[in-house]
Amino acid sequence: MTMTSLPAADPGTPDTRSPFRYLWWVALAQKWPLAIGIGMAILWWLAQALVPAALGRAIDALAGNRMAELVQWSAVILGLGVIQAVTGVLRHRFAVLTWLGAAYRTVQVTARQATRLGATLPKRLSTGEVVSVGNSDIAHIGNAMDVLLRGTGALVAIGTVTVILLATSPPLGLIVLVGVPLMAAAVGPLLRPLHRRQHAQRDLQGNLATRASDIVGGLRVLRGIGGEELFSSRYRGESQEVRRAGVRVASVESALEGAQILLPGVLIAAVTWLGAHFALDGRISPGQLVSFYAYAAFLIAPLRTITEAADKLTKGHVAARRVCRILSLDPEIGGGTGTLPAEAASDVLLDAESGVAVRPGRLTALVTAVPEEAAAIADRLGRYTPGEVTLGVVSLAELPINEVRRHILVADNAARLFTGRLRDELDVRGAATDDDVRLALHAACADDIVEALPDGLDARVAEAGREFSGGQQQRLRLARALTADPEVLVLVEPTSAVDAHTEARIADRLGKARAGRTTLVCTTSPLVLDRADLVVFVEDGKVRAEGSHRELLDAEPGYSAVVTRGEG
Amino acid sequence: MAGRILPVADRAQVRAYARRLTLKYPKELGLALSLHALAAIAGLASPRLLGELVQGVADGSRDVDVDTVALAIAGFVVVQAVLVRFAVYASSRLGEKVLAELREDFVDQVLALPLSTVERAGSGDLITRTSRDVDALSRSVRHAVPETLIAVVTCVFALGALLLVGPIMAVPCLVAVPLIWISTRWYLKRATDGYLRENAAYADMTEGLAETVEGARTVEALGIESRRHRRTDGDIAKSFAAERYTLGLRMIWFPTVEIGYVIPVVATLLLGGLFLSEGWVSLAQVTAATLYVQQLIDPLDRVLSWMDELQVGGASMARLLGVVNVPDDRVAGDERPRGEELEATGVTYAYREGHDVLHGIDLDVRAGERLAMVGPSGAGKSTLGRLLAGIHGPRTGSVTVGGVELVELPLDELRGHVALVTQEHHVFRGSLRDNVLIGRPDATDDEVRRALEAVDAWEWTQALDKGLDTIVGSGGETVSPAQAQQLALARLVLADPHTLVLDEATSLIDPREARHLERSLAAVLEGRTVIAIAHRLYTAHDADRVAVVEDGRVSELGSHDELVAAGGAYAALWDSWHGKGR
Repeated sequence: MTMTSLPAADPGTPDTRSPFRYLWWVALAQKWPLAIGIGMAILWWLAQALVPAALGRAIDALAGNRMAELVQWSAVILGLGVIQAVTGVLRHRFAVLTWLGAAYRTVQVTARQATRLGATLPKRLSTGEVVSVGNSDIAHIGNAMDVLLRGTGALVAIGTVTVILLATSPPLGLIVLVGVPLMAAAVGPLLRPLHRRQHAQRDLQGNLATRASDIVGGLRVLRGIGGEELFSSRYRGESQEVRRAGVRVASVESALEGAQILLPGVLIAAVTWLGAHFALDGRISPGQLVSFYAYAAFLIAPLRTITEAADKLTKGHVAARRVCRILSLDPEIGGGTGTLPAEAASDVLLDAESGVAVRPGRLTALVTAVPEEAAAIADRLGRYTPGEVTLGVVSLAELPINEVRRHILVADNAARLFTGRLRDELDVRGAATDDDVRLALHAACADDIVEALPDGLDARVAEAGREFSGGQQQRLRLARALTADPEVLVLVEPTSAVDAHTEARIADRLGKARAGRTTLVCTTSPLVLDRADLVVFVEDGKVRAEGSHRELLDAEPGYSAVVTRGEG
Repeated sequence: MAGRILPVADRAQVRAYARRLTLKYPKELGLALSLHALAAIAGLASPRLLGELVQGVADGSRDVDVDTVALAIAGFVVVQAVLVRFAVYASSRLGEKVLAELREDFVDQVLALPLSTVERAGSGDLITRTSRDVDALSRSVRHAVPETLIAVVTCVFALGALLLVGPIMAVPCLVAVPLIWISTRWYLKRATDGYLRENAAYADMTEGLAETVEGARTVEALGIESRRHRRTDGDIAKSFAAERYTLGLRMIWFPTVEIGYVIPVVATLLLGGLFLSEGWVSLAQVTAATLYVQQLIDPLDRVLSWMDELQVGGASMARLLGVVNVPDDRVAGDERPRGEELEATGVTYAYREGHDVLHGIDLDVRAGERLAMVGPSGAGKSTLGRLLAGIHGPRTGSVTVGGVELVELPLDELRGHVALVTQEHHVFRGSLRDNVLIGRPDATDDEVRRALEAVDAWEWTQALDKGLDTIVGSGGETVSPAQAQQLALARLVLADPHTLVLDEATSLIDPREARHLERSLAAVLEGRTVIAIAHRLYTAHDADRVAVVEDGRVSELGSHDELVAAGGAYAALWDSWHGKGR
């Protein structure tokens, strides 16, 4: 049997009109494994359902001392066992495949949607909301597929047993058929409090887990200045709450366990009693008495599967609703369909609102009195927020958004490093030579970081770069932006977390690294400002003055106040 | 990169711990086990009684009392149900108790980790242990351990019942033992690693998704959408490979054991028929034996299916216990400091053997002085800072406070003297007040206010809806990294040690605001010794003395004015920073 290969190269376009449609879309995408799985599940259940009948026949043969018949029915039981084993494992295989297929496809479309939303995502969704798709929703959607398969088989098994029972003895058959669902329904009232208590316990446990990672995350602080006892006693308190919640769950759970023995047990006793009378009257054989006993015991399992199916399909539906909500969002900033004329590509980038003009091929520095202003201007220039921004004669709004992104790169301190081989994570566009990367690292003064790594550029960036210090991350991000080598590069406070020595070196090297390209640096560092071709000073959202760092220092008291912090 | 530097406990240690834990509550354990045993016995009555009925019916004898037997079956069911109720409750209660103890012990051990280990280990490994391993162990203790115990008890009693029916009727069961035994051993040998790999791949996949989501704007900015798709698909492919491996194991193991379950049933029937025809056993015995053998399947299946979970739980336990194996990094002496002078003499230090990052540093820090350390990154400033804060001991040379080695002070004592604040900015889950109070739990609101004012944080904390009672940290109000640094400093102001080492403690605060903060902080810390590792030159300018650290050595030391006058590296940097040409 060939194994389906996952993931699908192209997950396709999900149907997000409703949760049900989404689940249907996921199911259709793997209709063959699902269909084969359902077939196997039916055979598996049937093989189980026929065992009590065969067992009854075998006992009858035994009672009548008919050895040939006994061997025959024993062979049937063995055959059913083998069929069960084979179809069982195949059912399992296809259940796993459809589970994984559904889960993986959901991860794929969610990840693709996250990249489609891009800068819009953090404004519209919390990270946790999307990440919980990967942590729990995919499991629920997978479970829905899995239980669809087993549930269908269980329905068929119940139907088959019904026919066998009614054909053998209508009154006994009716008792079993009415009794078993009744018994299954009778534990229902226990389920609600159980779920409620389980829910409460899970919440508390989640809080406890957060508390523990909080302790680990802040361990340096706690071991540095104390507070261990405080946190230990808090953890203990919450841990004991979880324990009590667990015991509360156990009290319902144990009652349920007891009920699940008591209710079918009483039914089995009733069937045995009536069956024994029938057997004594010769209406059924002793073997059939054993079959009825075995059927009453067997039916519990498919009935539980049906209950489980109802529960899991509901949870799958809820999960699909969350996924649909995420998938149906659209990016805030739309693009136009215009094209960027070659001559405009090397023209002035102008933000009409503030009057900031970024000259082509030069290193411009932007100083604002408050940091938020610089960030707002950078966002407009990069078209992360709407604004009247022109590149020569073309308005950015007219251009396709990916064209704008390719042309203008805004690199701020909220940007993230990604896990992966360092060389790949620096050269994100994949177009740089080793020399380009080395030059960018040198310009960002990040060569020492790479040298300190045992594997150099081949080292793996783990945990999204969290193992690097803040200053190291900043330099690596700068190196990455320089390696990308966009026509226009907007850097927001690129040296805020590095020491003065390093900052001086970066300032020296930045101009050379960007020679011939257009660069805007939002900064207040005198070391960087001193090396810019032109400094633009913005106050109250408008350009107040332009000139070299020194000219502005002399001519603009507002500027020197911002840059030297009253140092004079 | 920080690898896995925390140890893992060995098998003997895990076993000893599990044994100690199991036997810690003998009464509760005894109660739970005997209840389960009684319940199992009660559950074994029905097949025996049914066997009698079948025998009676087959014999056509009218003297079998169907009503009494049926009533007895019902009676045993009731007894079994009640016993199960209490047995499950008792074992769950014990399980929860043991589990709580386990995790509390672990957290206490984490909280007692030596300072140097905490500083050096990446948090990744420890976070995995606290989240994934505690979870895995919880599953084991909550479900796998009690279910296995119950199933084993049930199996033993079913076998016992079978032997009671007639020892000879137990023989057919033996046919399947080699099959189940060998295939299960084969499976278990491979399963644990397989499932661990599966979990790790799954975690990678969700981490990759989280990264894409958290970095969505960066993804758009850099135009790396297709790269992220490839990462997602690559993670999925790896997860699928891991899943396929364990699925392959199950594809062999499942059918083998299932056939192993059916063989005894068939063997019992066939051999039973043979024995019956020979007159060695009765029909009742064969019927009861067949039903018992069928009844054995379920608990046996449960024991087998929990085996891999138990193995995973054992592996998690080994990692949790491993934390105890971290050797303590300091042996406290009896000497107590006389004075507040901090003195480093001939200090060298190496993270890796043979690679000194500090080469014989001599530095006296006077009580109450403000010393700024500047220098290029990688020069060893932070390492020196950690040595001056007593976190690591020097390889050679000494770092003393009031004449006593820092690493020979008990931790509590050390904290009263020196504290370190780094650029790390963890905000604890809890109220803002709690976050600051960590520095000194008995401080009043007034003192908290003064501490927050000293770090320019009072204004924004008051702008929040609930002021100091605002819940922050994971799940609470978002606090920017800069604000988190302010909180860390406020904590330190409250703790009030006489010497503070600030390692880039204001680096995340906007340069326009950092200086104001540093000045107001300086006012509060008047009279305290402050060693500030700084990347902004005005910090150096405002300090009493400046130490320039280059290549693991102090290359220049003196007041700002002296160093500027001396015309060395510092002077060049200062001029350039200050816009006075090079």
